[in-house]
Amino acid sequence: MTQTPAPAVVVRGLHVRFGDVEAVAGVDLTAEAGQATALLGRNGAGKSTTMKVLAGVVPPTAGEVTVAGHDAATDALGVKRSVGYCPDVGGLVPRATPWEHLQLSARLRRMPAWEERGRDLLERFELGDVAHRVVGGFSHGMSRRLSVVLASLHDPAVLLLDEPFDGVDPLGVDATLEVVADARARGACVLLSTHLRDLALEACGEAVVLRGGNRVAAMQAGELTGEAYRALLD
Amino acid sequence: MRSSTDGWLDAARDTGHLVAFRARTVRRRRASALGLVVVLALTALFALGPSGFDVASVGSPAVERALASVQGNLGAAFAGFLLLAVSSAMGSGGGRELLSRSEAAVHPISPVTEHLGALLLAPVNLAWLVQMWGLLAVTALVAPPGGLLGAQVVVLTWVLAATALGQAAGWAIEGVRRSPHGVVVVRTVGGAVVVALAGLHLAGLLGPLVRSLPTTWIAETAQTPAWPLVAVLLLALAAAGVVVGARPAAWALGLPPREELRVQSGVHEARHAPEPRWGSPDRALLRRLDRASVWRSVGMRRGLLVLGLGPGLVALVAGLEWSSVMVLPGLTASGAALLFGVNAWCLDGKGMVWRETLPVSAADVFDVRALVVAECMALVSGITVVLALLRNGLPPLVVGVAVLSCWLVVVVQVLAIVMTWSVRSPYGVDLSSPRATPAPHAAMAGYAGRLSLVTTLTALLFTGLAAVPWAWVPAVAALPFLAWSTRRLVRARRRWLAGDERARVVLTVAAV
Repeated sequence: MTQTPAPAVVVRGLHVRFGDVEAVAGVDLTAEAGQATALLGRNGAGKSTTMKVLAGVVPPTAGEVTVAGHDAATDALGVKRSVGYCPDVGGLVPRATPWEHLQLSARLRRMPAWEERGRDLLERFELGDVAHRVVGGFSHGMSRRLSVVLASLHDPAVLLLDEPFDGVDPLGVDATLEVVADARARGACVLLSTHLRDLALEACGEAVVLRGGNRVAAMQAGELTGEAYRALLD
Repeated sequence: MRSSTDGWLDAARDTGHLVAFRARTVRRRRASALGLVVVLALTALFALGPSGFDVASVGSPAVERALASVQGNLGAAFAGFLLLAVSSAMGSGGGRELLSRSEAAVHPISPVTEHLGALLLAPVNLAWLVQMWGLLAVTALVAPPGGLLGAQVVVLTWVLAATALGQAAGWAIEGVRRSPHGVVVVRTVGGAVVVALAGLHLAGLLGPLVRSLPTTWIAETAQTPAWPLVAVLLLALAAAGVVVGARPAAWALGLPPREELRVQSGVHEARHAPEPRWGSPDRALLRRLDRASVWRSVGMRRGLLVLGLGPGLVALVAGLEWSSVMVLPGLTASGAALLFGVNAWCLDGKGMVWRETLPVSAADVFDVRALVVAECMALVSGITVVLALLRNGLPPLVVGVAVLSCWLVVVVQVLAIVMTWSVRSPYGVDLSSPRATPAPHAAMAGYAGRLSLVTTLTALLFTGLAAVPWAWVPAVAALPFLAWSTRRLVRARRRWLAGDERARVVLTVAAV
């Protein structure tokens, strides 16, 4: 008898509170390994906060969050080892170079031979020429592309991409879609948050819609037509 | 047709709007108000307190000699304030900004408004406050009976005039710096000025030259019935400085900031990951990244250079004795902490979220950041001590122990305080411009006041201990200070290790 593998991401009744503000109010979410799930919703729906909890950056106020078998509330370091995260804003140390970012990430994850992989990713995202240039002078699109490179460098079991297409040119979008496809192919779980529904549907097989910090729908990405999506947002 | 007066009125109105906007964003209003009251109370204390000191009643020839020396060098102290105003404006890329560059970019803010804002913010500077208090205290000490009010009015008008003139000079130097080859020109001229001053000092000409400056006349006339004339002249000079300063401000702000742009697109070739003989490679890598974040910033590099060399050169040139030198390490360490240490996590900017996703213990992150802050403070205050050593030679044992104990105590003291603030009150700031500050101006004023007060009081205690006949006394006296500061540092570290607190700091600093 074959045993069904446990989902890579399990979220049950997640609440995140910042002072008086409840950013996430009871989200439930399951994402399987080898699948890509789009996280959709309006501004302030709780997508980015949920991503930050899954990345081990923000601890959950209440609820259960398991990422690649690690409990986000008690084993944040284990979560961080398993996850590759592209934050929604910035995400780069302003006076360090892309290569220094890659070096730090690889060394802390004990990757012995990372240079070849790092160089390849930088070339794929057309950042090879600026690998040793301080990122403070990068355009928004370049910063986004480098954030995707950093998230995928160590072939994480769970790849979290928060607005990876924001301000990115078509070649960067193609490279990001390729990273998502590669991750799925090697059996990683991908969660992708974006406002661009068409790209989300292109990259993902599943879709989850959040509204006001709650999950309001979960479906096959193909079922999420423009009209259905708009209806869920209102 | 609009007149030039309209331009100034508009600029003054816009400055008012910007100040009001910043005032509305002050988070701890009560603490800010208290801070302002403390600064004003200290100013009144320094302006009036020393006048009650009766030198004749002490009957000590040494004290009388010291007082005569202070009186003779008051003009030089006035000139020193002008030098400080120029170097502060230079160090901060022309002057501080009411609104950060990225925030201001979408608003029609004129160079005159920027100039007025920089003038208003000039006092939000530890060195400025300390020097002003020093001038007031010395003047109160030497002013004749009945002449105190006039003398202090002159001091305050000189402070205004010197600040306006220093600001104008700062903009002009920033303009040169932003011109082609300007950075080289400014560095060459700056180096030549330092060498010339050192040469004059070695030739014994610097003292007479400084005493022959008009500031000596100002200092002397301030204590005579003719003080109203001097005060009016200085007010006119201050007004002229404000008006004239708008020109170089417009020139400088119209040019691209070459040095910042060069640094922002700077290339740093790959280096092998560090393999330290002792300690973990993870920490070594984090340390390298944190150090790079400090030394690749134009503002921090410039600030550390000015803080390292400025007070030390003053000690060297003015011939400060060990008793006076004792106060400098605390002030320079505080100055270094005010460059970024008071909001230590802002080094990572928006990259703080990415840093937090790295699988490394939060304790290592805290320890490394605290170490880098401590390094900067130890470096600048160490240069001051070494230059004082060059001037005075080896001190007697008890004085040497007192200086070293005081140095260690103030560095650990400031470190514990600023790491506590960094965890308790983080701010999201962009330090890419040398005009930016690591925290809002009201907070910076409070930080500067508190750090200067704590370190000065500590230094005064160790100055007293340097006079005792037992060399072990200052070392033993340092122990409770170190224990208290260590406890405070451990408490800040514990707070950082709590996931909720760290998340709050990360999200605030990254402004997400």
